[in-house]
This record gives sequence, structure tokens and C-alpha cells, in this order.
Amino acid sequence: MIMNHFMIKKFNGLDDATTQRLHSLGLQVGSDVTAVRFYPFHGPVIIQVDHQKIGIRYRVFQQLTGGDVS
Amino acid sequence: MGLFINIIIIAAIIGLAGYQIYRAVKRSKQGECAACDYDCEAKKLLNKSKKRAL
Amino acid sequence: MTTVALLGNPNTGKTTLFNELTDKYAYVGNWTGVTVEKKVGQIRHSNTEVIDLPGVYSLSPITKDESVVTNYLLRDSPDLILNVTNASQLKRNLLLSIEVLELGVPVIITLNMIDDLKRSGHYYDLKTLSTELGCPVRTSNARNKEGLPQLKADLVQNQADIKPNSPLQLNYPIMVSQAIRQATKALTTDYQVDAKFARWLAIQYINDNKVVRKYAVAHHLKPLLSQQAYYDAQKFSDQIFETRLSFIEATLATATEQLHSTKHVAITSKIDKVVTNPILGLPIFAGIFFLMFKLSFDWVGTPLSHQLDKLLSGPISTWANQFLTQVGALPMLRSLIVNGLIAGVGGVLTFIPQIFTLFACISILEDSGYMARAALVTDRIMEMIGLNGKAFIPLIIGFGCNVTGIMAARTIEQPKERLITTLISPFMSCSARLPIYSLFVAALFPRNQAVIVLSLYFLGIVVALLMAKFYHVIFRAKEHSVFIVELPQYHIPKLSIVWHGTWDKGKGFIKKAGTIIFAGTVLIWLLSNFNAHGYVTQIDHSFAASLGQILLPIFKPIGITTWQPISALLTGVLAKEVISSSMMVLFHTANQGALIGMIGGSFTALSAYALLVFVLLYIPCFATIGTIKSETGSAKWAAYSVVSSLFISYGLAFLIFQIGSLLT
Repeated sequence: MIMNHFMIKKFNGLDDATTQRLHSLGLQVGSDVTAVRFYPFHGPVIIQVDHQKIGIRYRVFQQLTGGDVS
Repeated sequence: MGLFINIIIIAAIIGLAGYQIYRAVKRSKQGECAACDYDCEAKKLLNKSKKRAL
Repeated sequence: MTTVALLGNPNTGKTTLFNELTDKYAYVGNWTGVTVEKKVGQIRHSNTEVIDLPGVYSLSPITKDESVVTNYLLRDSPDLILNVTNASQLKRNLLLSIEVLELGVPVIITLNMIDDLKRSGHYYDLKTLSTELGCPVRTSNARNKEGLPQLKADLVQNQADIKPNSPLQLNYPIMVSQAIRQATKALTTDYQVDAKFARWLAIQYINDNKVVRKYAVAHHLKPLLSQQAYYDAQKFSDQIFETRLSFIEATLATATEQLHSTKHVAITSKIDKVVTNPILGLPIFAGIFFLMFKLSFDWVGTPLSHQLDKLLSGPISTWANQFLTQVGALPMLRSLIVNGLIAGVGGVLTFIPQIFTLFACISILEDSGYMARAALVTDRIMEMIGLNGKAFIPLIIGFGCNVTGIMAARTIEQPKERLITTLISPFMSCSARLPIYSLFVAALFPRNQAVIVLSLYFLGIVVALLMAKFYHVIFRAKEHSVFIVELPQYHIPKLSIVWHGTWDKGKGFIKKAGTIIFAGTVLIWLLSNFNAHGYVTQIDHSFAASLGQILLPIFKPIGITTWQPISALLTGVLAKEVISSSMMVLFHTANQGALIGMIGGSFTALSAYALLVFVLLYIPCFATIGTIKSETGSAKWAAYSVVSSLFISYGLAFLIFQIGSLLT
């Protein structure tokens, strides 16, 4: 399994609803995120935060981590 | 068994079938849950709220 | 009467708890959004009414079903709120709890799914939590009834005995608390709003709660409306969020206790490693369905069905025939009962084992937590055609019945996306089509029954998705719906829940046998035994035959060479099960074995497959047409659906038969 740790850098650039939902799931700037799984063709990403797994779209994941993920 | 009883039973079966088709057509016109035979949770709620409204 | 509201995040087991507390069965599934509206139940032998609200992540709603909760709190005031939380994800669950505690209504928090928490190696000191949050904290595990007697005792109180909670006061940053204080004061003095409620309103308003903002506009709450620009410019909502989160982190840090063993989480991750594998995910999704059909057709369903059929076509038919002859029934009545009702309606009922097995499999999937993974695995494909991975769930529900699938599409927020989902729903292969598949695969593909049926289901999905893409381009829908799915822990499916789920879905099928399938069978019996001159003994001279003969040239290009299937297709519009019962009546066979032989004689593997594709996609049943009409609000869409599906089904069956004929 690919195990990558990331830090959430910003919520800028995401629409309000997405930001709000991520906040409600307990994610904030500085949260430590483990990317558990990437789907091919820039498909969804499964991230793990505080023992919970969440599936998000790749675009959202990129925004959160500041886009420096290959 | 007399001819008469035979005819009555046949008529009853056909009548019932006709009624069911009539009802199905009517229900599908009403739309929404009425047309569906599945007694799902949403439908139970809907029926309940209708009863309350009355 | 004491009113208790159950409130909590999705996937915390509220509905399971509700069912356990109220002895009433409500639909349970292990995915987000099972409860679309609120449900009411009563605790047995008590005066307590329990309301199950949809799961929400916060009181600021994003979708329609979430706004149910906020609206409920604005309009009604329950005597007690039972905040159900997922013990192992307390951090985010408490974000909602804080919002509820700020309301000042008596609250009891229960840490549900406490066993998951214990297995993850943590525990919380309940006393510390209780003092920090200012409300009683309990633990429970609704699935194995742990901690329920205690909770029940807490809930079955007289209104007067419930201890009031003072609202939770967090130390918001100075600017924010000042704003809250001012707004609260203005609301209480100028608008006579109750102080606790005013404070809660102010906080929610500042926190950009859309429903509360609408409420403020509707009630002309000037103190809030006039400050909106200021609140938003200062980003107060972010500050509120940060304050709440750091409060929770501090609270949990002091309350956490360590245990050992991390077994369960390990199991979930192990399963997830396989089922959500990037490359294997989709094949596994297909594999699970294959297994379902294997169970339904090869291993469990069909063998049982054969036994039923033997009973029906053997002893029951013979006995009925003898009995009717003895009591002196006319040949016509005998034919109606034996060749019509017993063969047709009874024949469809012999498919109960297959259908129930399939429903049981779907229920197991629902309860285990796989559905959320399916939404995830399919999201990439769904995104390409402009739908959300979550739209896949209404489609899967459509496997049970297209009508329920269309109804489930209501949870989709975007109107265009909802319309698209409604229009493609009829292509999903509903359970009513199973009997006819079953007959044909038994006749022509005895070795590959499950594969053929699986291919039809997937063909339905593929056609649905292609049409969705087509509509997406036509409607120029450009939406960006939120796709964030939570992947719950796997549960070992519970027998009672699976059984209830199966029965709920299967009941409809049995009911239909007595209504529309019965009616369709009588109709086809009439058509096949009469012509313009009256009762006929030769079926080839009947209405059904001449009707079929007229249409035969149209169906020749898709491989149909006899008139019987055509007449059966016509009555099949009543309900898709009627196709099978009609075939039994038309081929004049009283048992499946003989019918399978007849089918085997008049079809080739290729023409049978083309016919099955046609059956899969052609005109939706009456009920579905009606639902499309009412859900889209126009008869045009319903008519469009009928015409377009006829066109698509014919075209595809034509292609399959013609290309197939060239190849063989």
C-alpha cells in the first residue's frame, strides 16, 4: 500500500460546500493526512484522518495539499 | 356444477383482473409511490404524514 | 408525552439504535444518507416518543435531506436530544455535539459503536467528558444491544424529571463573542426571543448557516441581517470552527485512556486494501455481482425454484385439474385456472427463491459497508459522464425496483443531475426482469447462467451511463456537486437486519403476484383463448396470435421468429414479470421444464440474447412511467422515456442479432 503523509496547507480555491464538509469531518489547516490510496487517471483519493477514511476527488486533494503532489 | 356458477366464477376472475389493471393504470397516473408495490420506508412515512394531515 | 430526538453524524448507528429502542423496524443501511426524512417511533410501555433524524455532519446543511434537521430544531423543541456519536470518531462527532449543546436543550451524548473504539486501543473517561461538555455521557453498541437498558431508562422519564442543561459556553475569540453577545441582546430585548435560543441563533447565523439565515430573513431579524456583511468579512465562521476544534482536541486529550489491541481496524484495512484497490476495485465490484448471480441462479435460487416448479406443475396442477373436472367445471374455467392462473401466476411465483436470494445479497452489501466503497470505485467513471459517484446508489437501488430507484434520486441536489438519473433509471435491470432471464438462460445457456445474467445487468449499466453522458451534453449541465464519501468500518452483517431488508424488498414481489401479475395473466389468457368470433380451442386462431403475427415482420430483424414472445412483450408493459407468466400461458405448458424445452426449440442462443437485451431496455413498466411523470412533473418526459427506450432497445437488439449472425 502506498503510504504518504501530507499536511493540509490551505482550503483556498475550494467551493464553500466542500470546505464546509471537510471542516465537519474534522479537517483543518495543519491536519495530518495519510493518503491511503490513489486511483489511476486522477481518480478519487482515499485519505485517512483520525482513524477515519474518506474518499475525495483528486482535484480537491491537490488543492488541500498545495498542489505539490505528483 | 351448473353452467351458471361456471360463468359467475369466470366473470369474477376476469372482473377482478380488469379491476386490477384499471387500478394499476389509475395508480400510475397518480404517480409517486402509489404506483410502486414496494413498501419502502419513504412510502410508509408519506402515508403516515398524509393520514396526519387529514 | 416526552419527545426525544435522535441526532448525530451519518453512520453512527442512529437508525439501528432507533429500531432497538422503539421495537419498530426501520430501514437500515451502512452508508451515508439512509434516513432521508425524519421517522417517529415510540418506546414500548412508555410515554416517550423518539424521532430519528437524518444523519448530518453539522447543523449547516449542504443537501436537502440535511436541512430536515436544522428545520426541525428551528420549529420544534424536543424535550431531550440523544446525540448519537461514533465513539471511534469522536473528534468530528463532537463538532456537531457542540452545536447541539449550545442550543441549551437537555442533551444526552452516547458513544455508540463503543466496541470499535475499544478495539482501536483507546477509551475515554466518561466523567471527564461529561464535566467538560456539561451533559450526561453514556456508551452503547446498538448492534449487540450493549448499554441499551441504561439509555432506555434515561429516555423514559417524565418531562418534569429531565434535568435542564445550561447551554455550552465556549470561549470564542473576543470579536466573535462580542458579536454574539450584541446580537443576542438585541434579539431578546427587541424581538422577545428566548435568551438561550437567541444566542444559538446568533452563533448559527454568524457561522453562515444557510437555513438559519433564511429563517432570519423570514422573521426580519434586523440585528443579525444588518451585520451579515461584517460577520462574513471578518471570517467569523472560520474562527468559530477553530475555537470549537481546539476545545474538542483539548477535551479529548484529557479524557483519552489507552488500551491494547488494534485488531478490528486491521481487518477493515485489510478488506479495504483489496476491495478499493485501484486496479482491482472495479473487477471486484463486478466479481461481487457475479457471486450474487451465481448464488441466485446456480447455487441456491434455481435448484430451489426447480423444486417449487415440480410441486406446482406436478401434484398441484393435476390435483386442481381433477378437482375441477369432478365438480363439473367447464373446460373454459378449467383452462383459465390450470393453464392460466396456476401456470402463469404460479409460474412466476416459483422464481421467489432467485429473487429473494438476490435481495438478500443486496441487503448484505447494504449492511456491510460496501456501498460507500462502490460509490468511490465508480466515481471516476461517473465523473467522466458528469454524474457524482453517489448517484450510483439510486441506480443500484433500481436493481430492486426502478420506481424506488427514481424516488431515491430525490436525494440528488442538482435538478439536472436528478433529471438525468431519473431518465436513466429504467435501464437498470429491476428484479421483475429476473424470471424471464431465468427462463431463457436455463433454456439456452445452462452452463453460463450467472455470466449471461451478469452481462445483462452490466449492459443495463453501460447503456444508462452512455445515455447519461448524452443527456449531460444535451442539457449542458455544468455542475460541481460535492463528492466526499466517508468509508465506514465494515460490519459483519446482522441476520435480523439482512432478513428485514430482504423481506421488505421481496414483499412487493409477492404482492404484485396477487395484483398486476394476476391481471396480466388473465389478460393474456383471454387474448390467447378468444378471437372476434368467441372462444377458440386452437391458440393459433386467437387474438394473441393474430396480433403477434401482425407485428412479427418488425421483430424478425432482432431474431424473433414466433408470435408468442411478441404478445408476451405487449402484456409485459403492465409489469415485467408478466412477460414470463404470459410465455407460460402462450406456450401452453404447465411447467418450466416443458417451457424451457419450447424456448430452446424456437430460439438460438443469439436470438435469445437479443430478445433478453430487448426485454432489458424496452418500455418501462406502467408504474415506472407514472413515476417518471410525477417526478419530472411532465407527461412529456414520460412519453419521451417510452419512445427513447423502445428505440434504444430495438436498435441494440438489432445490432446484436445482425452482427452476431454475420459472425456465426
